[in-house]
Amino acid sequence: MAGSGNAHLRPADEVVLRVEDLVVEFPAGGGRSVHAVSGVSFDVARGETLGIVGESGCGKSTTARALMQMPPPRAGSVRLDGVELTALRGEALRRTRRRLQMVFQDPISSLNPRRRVRDIVAEGPRVWGTGADLVDEMLTAVGLDPATAAARRPHEFSGGQCQRVSIARALVLEPEVVICDEPVSALDVSVQAQILALLEELKERYRLTLVFIAHDLAVVKNVSDRILVMYLGKVCELASGEALVGRPAHPYTRALLASIPRGGLGLPPADRLISGEPPSPVTPPSGCRFRTRCPAATPLCAAEEPVMRRIGADHWVACHHPHGRGSNGGEVR
Amino acid sequence: MRRRLGWGFWLALGWITLVLAAAAAADLLPLPRYDETLAGPPQSGPGPGHPFGTDGLGRDVLSRVVYGARVSLGVGVGAVLLGVLIGAPLGVLAGYRRRAVDAVIMGVNDIALAFPALVFALAVVAFAGASLLNVLIVLGVLGVPAWVRLVRGATMVFSEREFVSAARLLGARDRTVLWREIVPNVSLPVASYAFIGMAVAIVAEGSLAFLGLSVQAPTPTWGGMINEGRPLMETAPHVVLLPSFVMFLTVLAFNLLGDRLRALTDVRQSGLEPVRRRRAERLPARPHHVEEDVLLQAADLRTHFTTARGTVRAVDGVSFTLERGRTLAVVGESGSGKSMLIRSVLGLAPESGTLRGGHVYLDGQDLTELDDQQMRRLLGTRLAAVFQDPMTALNPVRTIGAQVAEPLMVHLGMKRRAARARAAELLASVGIPEPARTLRRYPHQLSGGMRQRVTIAMALSCGPDVLFADEPTTALDVTVQDQVLRLIRRQREERHMAVVLVSHDLSVVAEWADEVIVMYAGKVVERGPAATLFERTRMPYTEALLAAVPKLTDPAHHPLRLLPGRPPDLANPPSGCAFHPRCPYARERCSAEEPPLFQAEAPDHLYACWYPVGTGAGAVETSGVSGMSGAAEVLRATEAAGAEETTDTIEGADSRGR
Ligand SMILES: Nc1ncnc2c1ncn2[C@@H]1O[C@H](COP(=O)(O)OP(=O)(O)OP(=O)(O)O)[C@@H](O)[C@H]1O
Ligand code: SF4
Ligand code: SF4
Ligand SMILES: [Mg+2]
Repeated sequence: MAGSGNAHLRPADEVVLRVEDLVVEFPAGGGRSVHAVSGVSFDVARGETLGIVGESGCGKSTTARALMQMPPPRAGSVRLDGVELTALRGEALRRTRRRLQMVFQDPISSLNPRRRVRDIVAEGPRVWGTGADLVDEMLTAVGLDPATAAARRPHEFSGGQCQRVSIARALVLEPEVVICDEPVSALDVSVQAQILALLEELKERYRLTLVFIAHDLAVVKNVSDRILVMYLGKVCELASGEALVGRPAHPYTRALLASIPRGGLGLPPADRLISGEPPSPVTPPSGCRFRTRCPAATPLCAAEEPVMRRIGADHWVACHHPHGRGSNGGEVR
Repeated sequence: MRRRLGWGFWLALGWITLVLAAAAAADLLPLPRYDETLAGPPQSGPGPGHPFGTDGLGRDVLSRVVYGARVSLGVGVGAVLLGVLIGAPLGVLAGYRRRAVDAVIMGVNDIALAFPALVFALAVVAFAGASLLNVLIVLGVLGVPAWVRLVRGATMVFSEREFVSAARLLGARDRTVLWREIVPNVSLPVASYAFIGMAVAIVAEGSLAFLGLSVQAPTPTWGGMINEGRPLMETAPHVVLLPSFVMFLTVLAFNLLGDRLRALTDVRQSGLEPVRRRRAERLPARPHHVEEDVLLQAADLRTHFTTARGTVRAVDGVSFTLERGRTLAVVGESGSGKSMLIRSVLGLAPESGTLRGGHVYLDGQDLTELDDQQMRRLLGTRLAAVFQDPMTALNPVRTIGAQVAEPLMVHLGMKRRAARARAAELLASVGIPEPARTLRRYPHQLSGGMRQRVTIAMALSCGPDVLFADEPTTALDVTVQDQVLRLIRRQREERHMAVVLVSHDLSVVAEWADEVIVMYAGKVVERGPAATLFERTRMPYTEALLAAVPKLTDPAHHPLRLLPGRPPDLANPPSGCAFHPRCPYARERCSAEEPPLFQAEAPDHLYACWYPVGTGAGAVETSGVSGMSGAAEVLRATEAAGAEETTDTIEGADSRGR
């Protein structure tokens, strides 16, 4: 399957989170469905930050929610420390799921306006009866004063402060993995820098494992150890930030990089740009889903879906004709 | 939630409390019995012993109104309670569970809604008799479908919020999620509608009484009293006067309570709502020089709002010039006044409670002296604008074709057919595939990028001299952003127009602008040619903004320089240099004296700072903040030091930052 395959996954005992062939579909009316996520696989090692980038609608948030089983994926496997989450139901799911936590994009909508900020952070410990002593520590760790937090409600805080409350709430249960879905894209650059710096600091201090989703490649590169590029519900490329920006191999990654304003960034000159916008996920193209916009597409791309293969040390790409390498029997471009 | 409810709310609450207390304590009050006939002469006007007179049977009107309140208020409050008690749980269930549960509940509800209310009322009264309880039950049950609908809608809205997902992730059970996360949020709108529902029930009881379907005589009800008094309108109008008046006031009071409560639930109040409604006042102009040969000039532009929190200086003395074929970018954090600057130039700033100052010259003509009609003619022809959210500029129920053709017909006097042909050309010129087909489509059928292209096509339709683009690509993906910015630049070159680009994104600005204005707290703090400004930055704020942006060329985990705190409250900006609470180079002078715009070595490069960076004047000593190690520590320290927690800033429409 395209932008599919599991060649890039590491041995199960090296990773804390392992996602295989995740499929999420939504009914689209008329018996058709939105193919939001189609066969996505990745893994995250303990203490690592995996960045996920891609355009709006490529299935980043849907992937995040499927990891949480909210809603559960149509198919595929999500293993947290070897425990298969998709097989769990009811009470067992409730107990296991708390080991994954999430920070959402909209700082306002992710906090209950009727509750005081400290109570919001204390909700997890209240449910489980443990970790109440961590509440004030976490508020302090995200740069908030526990006394202020005890007295105020979310609307009295700025967007950046609300996002810090969300982070404290996610951390207080000491989760195995924290998933951040666009945690900074609603914030000003100065506040964005504050949150990014804070996440790095907390990661160090609490040995966090993060999945960091964003559409801004520079932001993702700043916080991630490895970056996964997604397009229309598929995986395109996986590599370290250095390799991805320095030696992008997938035509879509190259287009993404070329679109970033380079204003004195000293980046290599822009590649051929792609035109248009992604096709509808209701009727995705056959073969490689990027082929309708890909400058390097060949008939092979329509016929056969490329799978992930290795093209460098920890550098993986799902493309028949990756840039700078011999394609499947073709010439080097 | 500390908000002003207004004196109307308290008056209404007082009135209802009074009526309730009177009804409850009726037996203790020194009143004649309500059913005591010939307590006084029949139909007599107000007099001793009967302050509001007597009715046709000589019964005391005041006493009857007070006792009548028991029925009217009892029915009002009781019917609503009954309706909420049955309707709310069903609504919450339908809204939270969705799917089959929802389908069943809503199916039954729709049937109930279709059942004729009057027939139901007649049937119940006919079979069970017209007692207070039966009337209450009839009205209560009739209200149930509406409550189910209302509560279900509110529940759905809140259960989609991320805080509900977050609670479930924390491990809260459904029951807990419902009680702690959803019900408290749903209850405020329910309470506000409950008051309105009480008003409706009181009126409904009155109507039933009119039809003889309510509580029977001699038990008084307000509606019944009005009905009985009707034949006496000519001889003894006082008989209907008091019940009508009391009923009117009570209904009004309930409605008012409901309305005020609903206003509470609607918005997060920023304290920035204008307090007066009238045309903008003009601030005295400062002397300035009108440049020749420039296309657009703003001179000492000021827009201040008078609000409950004080005067908000959203735009405070901004000047710039712009020539044809060039792009001027305005950058700054959210709330720095970028959007309001554009609105002020275009004369689109709100009028009420506004103080305006300064001048805008287009080819030497002072736009601030034009009247509304002259200004309207300029907008869309010589001045055009594109905003962040294309949906606000497009009418969702009209086709793209109708909307693109309209300015052509209105401003250029084109005939329909010619205008549509031109519209198709315009769409093609902004890179929309199949323009002829797109003309027949509606905005929601296009993607965000395509919609933004349509608004650009509309803005360009009459060949403007200046295109204002306020965050035109903030809602778009990078690949689409690139296409849109390329398009704007190409159009600028082809049409030899000027562009004013507002953006919070410094890399966009560095790539696409010729000149840059950096705004902070409504003022220009640095201005100059893009290359100079980014390479030889003088103002510490600009430097800090640049350092805060992650760069693709930086290695992973490269530490970003922290700019602590947030933009100041424009109603109460810091003294001296407004940036001083956040500035690492601030010294004593900075909080005492406001720096003017200084000229840098490079021509046209200006900055407002006493100790500019890169000159050796600053960077000597730095304030305590930079001595700290952790991000959390810095954030806490600056917040404690009163880098104050304002609520919203003036650019309410600016979606970033909240
Ligand atoms: N509940 C739903 N019902 C139907 N379609 C959905 C639903 N949720 C998501 N989709 C569709 O699934 C696809 C992936 O959406 P998703 O929100 O995961 O994208 P994303 O990458 O997070 O985008 P963004 O960057 O805009 O947040 C999109 O086409 C979207 O419209
Ligand atoms: S070259 Fe083919 S396989 Fe590779 S991205 Fe383009 S269309 Fe897909
Ligand atoms: S050095 Fe002083 S004048 Fe300059 S920006 Fe900082 S606080 Fe303002
Ligand atoms: Mg998303």
